[in-house]
Amino acid sequence: MTQATTAAIEKSTRWHGGRSPYNVSYGKIMMWFFLISDALTFGALLISYGTTRFSSNVWPDPNAVFHSFPVISNFTDKPLPLMFVSLMTFILILSSVTMVLAVHAGHYNDKKGVIRWMLLTIIGGICFLACQAWEWTHLYHTGAWWGSFFNAPLESVQHLFNMHRPGTAEAIARDPSVAAAATHDFYNYFFTITGFHGAHVTSGVILNIMLLVNTVNGTYERRGHYEMVEKVGLYWHFVDLVWVFVFTCFYLL
Amino acid sequence: MSAQHHHEDIQSLYEGDQSKLYSGVMNHHTDINSEESRKQVKRIWMITLLLSVVTIIEVAIGLGAHYAGVHSWLIITIFLALTIVKAAYIVRVFMHLGDEQKNFVNVVLVPLLLFIWFIIAFLADGHFWLHMNNTQANTKNIEAVQH
Repeated sequence: MTQATTAAIEKSTRWHGGRSPYNVSYGKIMMWFFLISDALTFGALLISYGTTRFSSNVWPDPNAVFHSFPVISNFTDKPLPLMFVSLMTFILILSSVTMVLAVHAGHYNDKKGVIRWMLLTIIGGICFLACQAWEWTHLYHTGAWWGSFFNAPLESVQHLFNMHRPGTAEAIARDPSVAAAATHDFYNYFFTITGFHGAHVTSGVILNIMLLVNTVNGTYERRGHYEMVEKVGLYWHFVDLVWVFVFTCFYLL
Repeated sequence: MSAQHHHEDIQSLYEGDQSKLYSGVMNHHTDINSEESRKQVKRIWMITLLLSVVTIIEVAIGLGAHYAGVHSWLIITIFLALTIVKAAYIVRVFMHLGDEQKNFVNVVLVPLLLFIWFIIAFLADGHFWLHMNNTQANTKNIEAVQH
């Protein structure tokens, strides 16, 4: 049989029952569909952040907002923009890599490999959450929270703005209240979106721990495959994927 | 036809745990130290390196623009392009979407095309609000003029 006829048969029988047309199991398809819906939720949050930003004359400069680093900032007054979030991003990328290596080990029914990489993935997730907890605490001590800086005086928020940015100094001179209003909006979105992402990381860590326990107990070994690692892996990579966009929207742009 | 169809209790698999039927990827591999396995692991680490390098480039551009005081649409475009690159590699390699059938890839990606419209429509809306507030529709300014 030629390749072309094989392909034709493949195509005609694909939708006639008895097999999965996508060659993907039900659970995995549902995980993908859940992730699509979750992508729409995160997308809506980030787009509304963008809409508010586009409708504001001024916006806080991320390099002025996020400039501290644990321990190091205790010894120096020098601002360290982008440094801490780069570390967080790197931790999350690494934990995504250890997850994909756990999935890989699962493909080969390598129980020890799955245990090792899952353990590292969980540690990475916890490290990321610890970093986020530090950042939230730090920002909280600077007065930032949901609803903060509402109608606040200009002096309390002025340092968050880059006056050299075209239009910023003029807009604040015209109406000083825009600075506090933009800071208020900025922090509301920041805590909501990173909080929603952090909640995803938290539930991901819990799922990963359940996965590790099941692997150690030999549940997947008896089942004959490690597809559960793949499914939770999809979720974990998605969390990393969302962070890529959060990183760009909040810290770079 | 794949080997899974010769399974003895195929009915129980349909009704119960379906993953044994469909995850053809998993049935062929046995040796984690095989040449094929090593190649896949190497690819994963290469992508890791790529994601890290792209992030470092982003941070370098961000810091450079910050200290040089540069604000340009070019930098924003570069950031967005690099973000898409990172996202594409995560989805394609880490989430193994590149290994799925083409029609399933479309099932996942086509709905997300909605974002093109979402982003354009909502950002344009925000921009228009700013325009209105800064010009004739700004009641605050009108009040200030009246008093």
